[in-house]
Amino acid sequence: MVPLQAQGQGQAQAQPQLLPETLVDLLGLGGFGVLGEIVAALIAAFIVGNIMLTMTAVAGPWAKRKITAAFTDRIAVNRVGPFGLLIIVADAVRLLSKELIVPEGVDRPAWDLAPIVLPFSALLGFAVIPMGNGIQLADPETGLVFAFAVASIASLGVVMGGYASNNKYSLLGGLRAVAQNIAYEIPLIVTAASVVIFTGTLRMSEIVAAQSAPLFSVAGVTIPSWFAFVNPFAFALFLLANLAEIGRNPFDIPEAPTEIVAGYQTEYSSVYFVLFYLGEFLHIFLGGALIATLFLGGPAGPVLPGFVWFVIKIWAVFLFTQWARSAVPRFRIDQLIEIGWKGMLVLSFANLVLTAIIVGVIAA
Amino acid sequence: MNPWIAIGALAVVGVGIPLGMMAASAILRPSVPEQGKSAIYESGEIPTGTARIQFNIQYYMVALLFVVFDIETVLIFPWTVIYRSALEQGVSLGAVLAPMLVFIGILVVGLVWAWRNGAVKWVKSPRASRRKTERQS
Repeated sequence: MVPLQAQGQGQAQAQPQLLPETLVDLLGLGGFGVLGEIVAALIAAFIVGNIMLTMTAVAGPWAKRKITAAFTDRIAVNRVGPFGLLIIVADAVRLLSKELIVPEGVDRPAWDLAPIVLPFSALLGFAVIPMGNGIQLADPETGLVFAFAVASIASLGVVMGGYASNNKYSLLGGLRAVAQNIAYEIPLIVTAASVVIFTGTLRMSEIVAAQSAPLFSVAGVTIPSWFAFVNPFAFALFLLANLAEIGRNPFDIPEAPTEIVAGYQTEYSSVYFVLFYLGEFLHIFLGGALIATLFLGGPAGPVLPGFVWFVIKIWAVFLFTQWARSAVPRFRIDQLIEIGWKGMLVLSFANLVLTAIIVGVIAA
Repeated sequence: MNPWIAIGALAVVGVGIPLGMMAASAILRPSVPEQGKSAIYESGEIPTGTARIQFNIQYYMVALLFVVFDIETVLIFPWTVIYRSALEQGVSLGAVLAPMLVFIGILVVGLVWAWRNGAVKWVKSPRASRRKTERQS
């Protein structure tokens, strides 16, 4: 094990600079020791948080409507501002200035905490995502596992909100969300493990670096060894399991507007509803960021700067979820459980074992 | 620089953003409490009973399975991390692969057993279906 560790440390020194470190250098906080680092980390975290907030603000009130409208041959928002973009401001003001209605018999601390837990868990996952151009908050050795760990805290927020609301629809929605999350989390993580077999590390920046080598060249165009090309089967599995984790069609039974009103967020209004909505969209983008990092080479791409490519990739995943939302009908809950446990789980383990055998035969 | 400082900072921001939005909303929003507003939403009807009932959650066996497989993934990750470098350092394929195949094999046998015993099947418990017929009469 000793040579392995030495090798790992050697790689760690060759890391590109992280955003807090860049800020320490830029703002001259190096002389303040740990305090300076904390200040720089807070500023960096604020920047990353606001990048993601901006994306959800564009996605939630505007892009989602436009995309769904385009799929169903409508026009959607186009009155306020260019392309209706200022609807974002209008909607933000409208939703924040709504009266907060507290229903009878809600379990108060839990009911208030749930809307904090949901965006918190999704936002925390972005701490380890390399966004290109040195925008990455932290690069711990356990990066990938950390992202999965914090992303699954969201189930807790959902079940808290569902149970505390004292509403039958909310209770059903919360329980459905948990059933779905536990059924699809294992395939998701096991499929990610099959990528780790290739990289041999959980550090996000090294997973990205492992995908930079050229795979093969076709007519002068070099295809990089992104794991979506190296192992397309794992990519498809991860994409599907991710769709279930973020609760989008065909796996949107936790909300299922035609069955249980709005699921776990039925009783939430005003800013609490905004926070639930925000948390959901952050989760979609976190799923997109994980897909981009694990399978699409992270921020790598030709011509454009890395951050632009990163944004393009996670918006491509967002577009995919909206496409599925418009095109695919919803599963029943019993079908969902069966697909998760009998289909996805078996397939993901088959993928892991096959990947291990193929990599082993090639390496040996 | 310790990465957990930055992660902790994002955790602070992650709590701060929702709290800030709540504070902004508290300044903006009106408060007009009326009795009818605070009723639980039940498709416009007057709500009956409470949601805090004993409830057949159907998939508690699935939840047990989840715990088993979740621990399994925790044990698989270290193996995937060292797999390739162990092979490159000359450990034979059998020595690296076989133990994990046996480990996954045991769990797959467990899954097959649970599958055949109907743990992942959506069935109504006799108690739930009896209750349903009672309510209809």
